[in-house]
Amino acid sequence: MRNKLYKWILWAVVIIILAVFPRVFGIYYTNFFVGFVIFSLYAVTLNLLLGYMGVLSFGHAMFFGTGAYATAIALTHIQGFPLLPAVLVGGLAGGLLALILSPLLVRVSGTAFAMLTLAFGQLIFVLALKYREVTGGEDGIGGYPIPPLNIPGVVSVDMTDQINFYYFAVAVIAVCLSILWFYTKTPFGSLVVGIRDNAMRMDYLGFNLPQTKAINLTVCGAFAGIAGAVHALLMKLVSTVGVLDIHNSFAPIMMAYVGGVGSFFGPIIGSGVLHLLEDLVIRFTARIGLVNGAIFILVVLYVPMGLVGLFSATKAKWFHKEKVS
Amino acid sequence: MSPTAVLYVAQAIHGLAYGMLLFLVASGLTLIFGMMGILNIAHASFAMLSAYFCYQVLLMTGNFWVALLIAPVVAGICGVLTERFLLRTVHKHGHLAELLITVGIMTVILEIVKIFWGAESLVVKIPQSLSGLVNFAGLTYPIYRLFIIGLSIVILGFMALILFKTRLGKIVRAAVSDADMVSALGINTPLVFMLVFGIGIWLAGVAGAVAGPLLTVFPGMADQLGMDAFVVVVVGGFGSLGGAFIVALFLGELNAYGIQFIPRLAPVLMFAFMAFVLAFKPMGLFGERE
Amino acid sequence: MNILETKGLYHDFSGLQVLFDVNLQVEEGERHAVIGPNGAGKTTLFNVITGTYQPSRGQVFFKGKEITGARPHKLMRLGVGRSFQITSTFNRLTTFQNIRLAILSKKGIRFHLFRKVDKMQDITKETDEVLRRINLDRERDMPAGMLSYGKHRSLEISLALAADPDLIMLDEPTAGMSRDETHYAVELIRRLTEGKTVVIIEHDMDVVFSLADRITVLHYGQILATGPPVEIRQNQAVKDAYLGETEVEFV
Repeated sequence: MRNKLYKWILWAVVIIILAVFPRVFGIYYTNFFVGFVIFSLYAVTLNLLLGYMGVLSFGHAMFFGTGAYATAIALTHIQGFPLLPAVLVGGLAGGLLALILSPLLVRVSGTAFAMLTLAFGQLIFVLALKYREVTGGEDGIGGYPIPPLNIPGVVSVDMTDQINFYYFAVAVIAVCLSILWFYTKTPFGSLVVGIRDNAMRMDYLGFNLPQTKAINLTVCGAFAGIAGAVHALLMKLVSTVGVLDIHNSFAPIMMAYVGGVGSFFGPIIGSGVLHLLEDLVIRFTARIGLVNGAIFILVVLYVPMGLVGLFSATKAKWFHKEKVS
Repeated sequence: MSPTAVLYVAQAIHGLAYGMLLFLVASGLTLIFGMMGILNIAHASFAMLSAYFCYQVLLMTGNFWVALLIAPVVAGICGVLTERFLLRTVHKHGHLAELLITVGIMTVILEIVKIFWGAESLVVKIPQSLSGLVNFAGLTYPIYRLFIIGLSIVILGFMALILFKTRLGKIVRAAVSDADMVSALGINTPLVFMLVFGIGIWLAGVAGAVAGPLLTVFPGMADQLGMDAFVVVVVGGFGSLGGAFIVALFLGELNAYGIQFIPRLAPVLMFAFMAFVLAFKPMGLFGERE
Repeated sequence: MNILETKGLYHDFSGLQVLFDVNLQVEEGERHAVIGPNGAGKTTLFNVITGTYQPSRGQVFFKGKEITGARPHKLMRLGVGRSFQITSTFNRLTTFQNIRLAILSKKGIRFHLFRKVDKMQDITKETDEVLRRINLDRERDMPAGMLSYGKHRSLEISLALAADPDLIMLDEPTAGMSRDETHYAVELIRRLTEGKTVVIIEHDMDVVFSLADRITVLHYGQILATGPPVEIRQNQAVKDAYLGETEVEFV
């Protein structure tokens, strides 16, 4: 009973912080926060494959980038394309891509899966670079209109206002994260984890592995696409190097690993830590890449269970100490 | 000789040269994976590092041959240090950790290179003795590319000799096939690992140094080479040198002709081929080990 | 009726012939043991029947319908369960979660996305019941990887049984067990397979003779003899095949 109360209080505090954030921290950090939540969603989708299904998606940027481009292209070419559909079209594009690739992807696991996704990620990156007419190549697509949030007959909220956009983005992503959280708790979620632990046994228990894997892949692709869509709305510019290149594939992996792949919230924490770190380091040096890389190496060496794992282990130790004394 | 024939031959030479470079890089990669189970994402980064070292030594001594000699060795030493202090420590955390640390290493090398040499392209001039064209059988061939092919063949021949004719080579081949068994036989496997890793990196270093004049030395040079080397290893089969050789040459030619005749589709072909092979033969065409 | 039948089953691994003309017949409701020296092809026979391998020749029938080469998951849904010689459980999941997966499959709950699985009380109840029946209720929340060997093996067998299949195939269920653990396992198997058909690969002759209604002897991939234990005991060819191979006491 007490646990439930604590939980409600915690969520209440979180909601209050989210609500007053822009006013307290200003425009710069408001946008910074939106970036953080976008990557949190992105990293969580990666972890639904890595931590939950046991496969490393090494080209995850292809889903993020496809979603971002879908949104940008829709907004550029279709007059008056509304806001929510613009986000959904990103999710649709990401999910569709995953679905199309799944017949090949479900056949492999382990290193082969990582290499296959790496290959596809690079393939899409190169294709996007070459087909400039569609994607604008390196320069990308920019200057598309950011539609207002329209609730017909009630209100029209201007999304070019950064504070308004903050609330919209945070709400959208919070909803997505809640859906994904629930997803992991369903019977289907336990199938995914079963595949991670022992795919062969799952086969022998009567579960259709290819179908199950394909569905999980599609869900991850779709939500990564939504993350990309919100990113497109935030940055107002989508370019191949920004959203499709390999460093954008590595980012969610690092975030998930730093936060801890063994938990749902790990990637979110990882995203937060890495974003804060980058913001901090950038004040002292332009060499964020170096610091990021070095810190990442240190984490892999000494904190492989991630921050969440470290926290659990420490808590267990203290708890044990309490019991003993 | 008709212009088209000349074109075809020129492309064939380019393809062969690039294929040889690919094989130099891929051979180390596939040996390392076969023996240690580590997929070294940073492998091509070491090649790039060597290219920068080559530039630097050339700058300081003015002698291309000295640079070519020293640079890969320095890169190899960096590789050995990496294996000894980073990879060995992380081994107990599992394959994912190993993979991720090589990603970290790749990032760090990239940044280091940018810090010391900047982000601009650096020009490494082909030495006088190797530049220009040579005539043979009515065709002209670029000397430097022939040099690359020749050098690669010499090095690889030498490697093959060691691998197949010496006791050390036997140990290495055994370790690639089954490292635990070799260790159980009382052989100092950590030392063998370090050695093979170092040589693998050295090979990549030679490729990098030699590729400098061709590809120009810039922070992005690891990307193309690295990706292609991965395709070679994956398609050829993890741990299979023969497979890597065949696929490397094939890829080199595919690249050369592809870029010339179907520039937009060339990368698609390569990845499509890789995806196809992976989906039906996850261990590569000639691979044995997971 | 024969619940399981193979007709002229052959299998080879790149030229190495492992199964020759295997005609196995398992009657419904019986406990049928498959024995033979190491390398006789027993596990391969299982693998071919359950769809892990496609036989190079021959057919497999389940309940009269041909299932040759059918994939494991299809077979499971038809009512065939299998356990493995090397324990193969979900080691990072708890014992409860392990069994629950089998129960979910049994109930056909696969693509269910609309409720929290922890809140599905009927599933929880049924899983707990199974845990009680196999005496693993105290280890309910322990990760399977941390179970003692005997209990781990129990879980292994239970995963094959929990989905309530009509035909249960057990591959050396008592492998590596002590005398006591073996007795316990045999009782468990006997109890949990009431009214079902069991095909069991075993090396432990005590287990075979205490459980089996009929025995099939496999030798170098061929069936040497099939029959009730009494007959097999006295079969000269069988005794010859086993001479010096296994510590067997037929007396």
